[in-house]
Amino acid sequence: MLFTIVALLSVVGVVAGLTFHRFWTTREEARSTIIYVEIFKKYLAWLALRTIQSARKASPKAWWDYVKALPSWRLPDLEKWLFIGFYGSFAYLAASGFFFAIFVPRGLYGFPLVGHVMAGGLFAACLAVIVIFKGRNFISVPKPVNLSLALLDPRKMGITAARVKFAAFWLFVLAGFLLALTALLPMLPLLRTAGQRFMFEFHRYSALVSAVAAAVYVDLELFESGRPC
Amino acid sequence: MSRAGRLAIGTLGLALAVFALAPAGSTAAAGQDAKKAVWDGSRTTPAHLIPLRDENDEPIIPTETNPLPYSARFTCGPCHDYKTIQGGWHFGAMTATRNGRPGEPWLQVDTKTGTVLPLSYRKWPGSYDPKAVGFTAWDFTLLFGRHLPGGGPAEPSDEKVRADPASRWNVSGRAEINCLACHNKSGRQDPSEWAKQILRENLRWAATAAGGVGEVGGMASRLKETWDVYDGPNLDDHEWAVVPSVKYRSVDFDSKHRYFFDLNYQPSDDRCLACHSVSPKDAAQWSADADVHSTAGLKCADCHRNGLGHAIVRGYEGEAAETGNRTAESFTCRGCHLGLNEAGEKSVVPGRLGAPFPKHTGLPLVHFKRLSCTVCHSGPKPIEGFTRVRTSRANRLGIYGVAMWSTDLPVVIEPVYAEVAGQKIAPNRLVWPAFWAKMSGKDVVPLKPEDVEAAAGDILKPEERIARVLVALSQVMAEDEVPVLVSGRFVFAPNVDGGIDASVRAGAKADTPALWGIRKGEEVLPLVPEFDPAAADKDAAVETRFLEFLQALGTVPLAPGQPAIVVKKTLYRLVDGFLEMSEAPAELAEASGPCWLAEGKFLPLGSDFDLRTVTAKAGTEQTLTEEQVALVLAALAKSGENTDFVYISGGRMFRLGKDGKLASKSDAAAEPVTWPLAHNVRPAQQSLGWKGCTDCHSGGSDFFFTKLRGTGPLLTANVENRSAASFMGLGGLFQRFFGLSFITRPLFKVILAVCAIVIGSLVFLAGLLLLGRLAGFLEKR
Repeated sequence: MLFTIVALLSVVGVVAGLTFHRFWTTREEARSTIIYVEIFKKYLAWLALRTIQSARKASPKAWWDYVKALPSWRLPDLEKWLFIGFYGSFAYLAASGFFFAIFVPRGLYGFPLVGHVMAGGLFAACLAVIVIFKGRNFISVPKPVNLSLALLDPRKMGITAARVKFAAFWLFVLAGFLLALTALLPMLPLLRTAGQRFMFEFHRYSALVSAVAAAVYVDLELFESGRPC
Repeated sequence: MSRAGRLAIGTLGLALAVFALAPAGSTAAAGQDAKKAVWDGSRTTPAHLIPLRDENDEPIIPTETNPLPYSARFTCGPCHDYKTIQGGWHFGAMTATRNGRPGEPWLQVDTKTGTVLPLSYRKWPGSYDPKAVGFTAWDFTLLFGRHLPGGGPAEPSDEKVRADPASRWNVSGRAEINCLACHNKSGRQDPSEWAKQILRENLRWAATAAGGVGEVGGMASRLKETWDVYDGPNLDDHEWAVVPSVKYRSVDFDSKHRYFFDLNYQPSDDRCLACHSVSPKDAAQWSADADVHSTAGLKCADCHRNGLGHAIVRGYEGEAAETGNRTAESFTCRGCHLGLNEAGEKSVVPGRLGAPFPKHTGLPLVHFKRLSCTVCHSGPKPIEGFTRVRTSRANRLGIYGVAMWSTDLPVVIEPVYAEVAGQKIAPNRLVWPAFWAKMSGKDVVPLKPEDVEAAAGDILKPEERIARVLVALSQVMAEDEVPVLVSGRFVFAPNVDGGIDASVRAGAKADTPALWGIRKGEEVLPLVPEFDPAAADKDAAVETRFLEFLQALGTVPLAPGQPAIVVKKTLYRLVDGFLEMSEAPAELAEASGPCWLAEGKFLPLGSDFDLRTVTAKAGTEQTLTEEQVALVLAALAKSGENTDFVYISGGRMFRLGKDGKLASKSDAAAEPVTWPLAHNVRPAQQSLGWKGCTDCHSGGSDFFFTKLRGTGPLLTANVENRSAASFMGLGGLFQRFFGLSFITRPLFKVILAVCAIVIGSLVFLAGLLLLGRLAGFLEKR
């Protein structure tokens, strides 16, 4: 129950944060006033309008066209299949895991569980390869910091969309590592019941973190690059 | 004041007085009762040197003539409230408001009619209420009293006695709660004696005899129904209808006629096991292991404890919520070993009685959610299929004497892993019911075996008829000769119980024609040897033998005709006690051997139906053929009742089709009856999963894929056939697939470990890099 509440709050938070970020960075009316309540009203109006527009545009064909237009299809074969495996496995893991965790009291079981375990192996392998060969692209070069109270000022922390994207990537990788670890350890004759229970819960929350990080990364990657939604 | 006013004040005053005094009286009584129930804190058991009292609450003087047996109600009752005890688990089934988790039903077994009928006064699934089936408390007591501890149905109220005039309670008395059955520490306590006394209908004497308090002679079952205990001995009969009497063991009485009971507060295991033993069929006693708790020094009653109310803790999860007895939470597996209540909360103090805390290292949590502890820890391991066991109450174990009491039937199977009332999967014992029934709408109403037997007539008696012939012939056999019937691959010989035993005849074919013969050593000779009656030098001894055979066959009760022997167109028969030889009629020209001569017709010694039936069933445990069932169903249909009759066996319901043929189908009434088992608990090293996941999760594991065929008294191929997984409500296909996945699981773990190490290392490095740059270390270098 706690996990369900945390998961729902996380989804709401991420959606609100990302949409507000888009509203703030793309809409002129966002800066037309300094009154928070007014900004919030404008944000809500924009969000409602965009939701209706998106819903009207959405159709299986539109989605399929969107998927076909993704740049991953134009990658070399090896890379293409790596990303297909990676995205596909993650999508199945998230869908099956969260659906059963939230809507099925018994939790994940049966063939979906077997699929979850198999997809987990594929995901871990793909992630390992991606980190080895693509991780270097996500290393930013911050300046050495000096000890001052300015460190506590968010405006002076140098938070940019690119850096948040990098952070989301590494957070995702960290969560992926924890997911693999919490899946592996319960299968080994190491943990007692309390340990098993801890790993079970840790696996769930790691999955939630990975999903949040993935959402942030995807939003920044796709929308910041000006692609249609 | 008016008269009415004075009356009103007087009435009011009286009412107030009654009101004021009544609570005081009841409080005093309650105080006295409570005093009896309250423990003074001493952990010793008081010496029970107490006066015995009979059922009339009169003191027993053992040296008096014809003393009555002692009564637990009046001997033990003064200190231990009898009425409170009557509501206990062992005695209160008929009046219980809560049924509790299903337990072993009473199984009425009747081989002749092929009946294995589960009965229980508790409303457990699959069991029938004895009252609904037509059993009175008297019937039930005589059927199952052998393993009843007295009380309950064996001790009916006066109203119930009056309501059942056909019963013989007035002769037998009632079997009061037998305190000694559980609490007697003396080795004289004899469950076999109890069983014998119950069958002799010596109900009021049974506790005295079984407890070794006195020696009981006589049989109430042989007395007239008008006899009363105050009538005293039967002066006319000292041999047959002897009145039950007690001869007390005088050495156990003191000079004040007080008897010394050697008692246990907690019953010893032997007392419990007298009725609750379960052992694999055909196992050797020395090879059987005890429950791990017993081996550790615990007694049954350490966990299965109770207060004065005798509401014994059964120890299953959910019992505390059901009964309101929170102490029960401490005596479930999880309560004692983990300190968890049913909801999984740590509300129970663990480690009572030194229970170790289990590690369960590497065991995924789902096992605790879906399985009861007993799945992995209790009962025989499901290796090479299910285990057939015998239980005390079903198979009449633990009753010793000259006669063989224990039976192989009914077939009890364990461990069948099944979901219990939509909760966890637990190991169960299982019995396939078998009985005749009539349909009442959609309901199945079992018939009593005696009703079926009455309707069936001779259909159910082929063995009896063959046996009668063989027993008759055995009268004229020499010491080394045994009369036999050879049919098919089997040789049938009479046994000491007046029945027949079948043994396989080496090398014989299944279609060997029937032959009445004489077994001498290993050799079987025909009853009527090669012999030419017309020969001049015929052997006179053969004809003398014929005379003996015919005389013997003449004693066969209910024979269809006069015995005769046909040899080479010659007919031998008895006329006025002499052997008469005449020409055989044309129809018997080719015949040879013994036969019956009835109304001018010649009948074989054993009818085709009898031979076919006994031969088909020989060497099996089945007692009915499909032909017999069809005939009995037809006979029942003719009995007048305008309803459908069915027979249930092996998980199928059989009924006669419109074409007169036997047809079968699945039906809820034919479903097996299961009840969870908890013992024997095996040591941890013998638990399922000790050797790894593949103990259960493999492509062909016995745990999931063992097949269970329906068993029953009917010899048929139409039986239910189920996999173990189906009882658990699980799909076999998934479990097979899941089991096979464990072949690749080690590789999967290696891959996952490598991936985790790679990803973790790189994350760590990236973190170090970030930290180094923030600190300026890397730029400096």
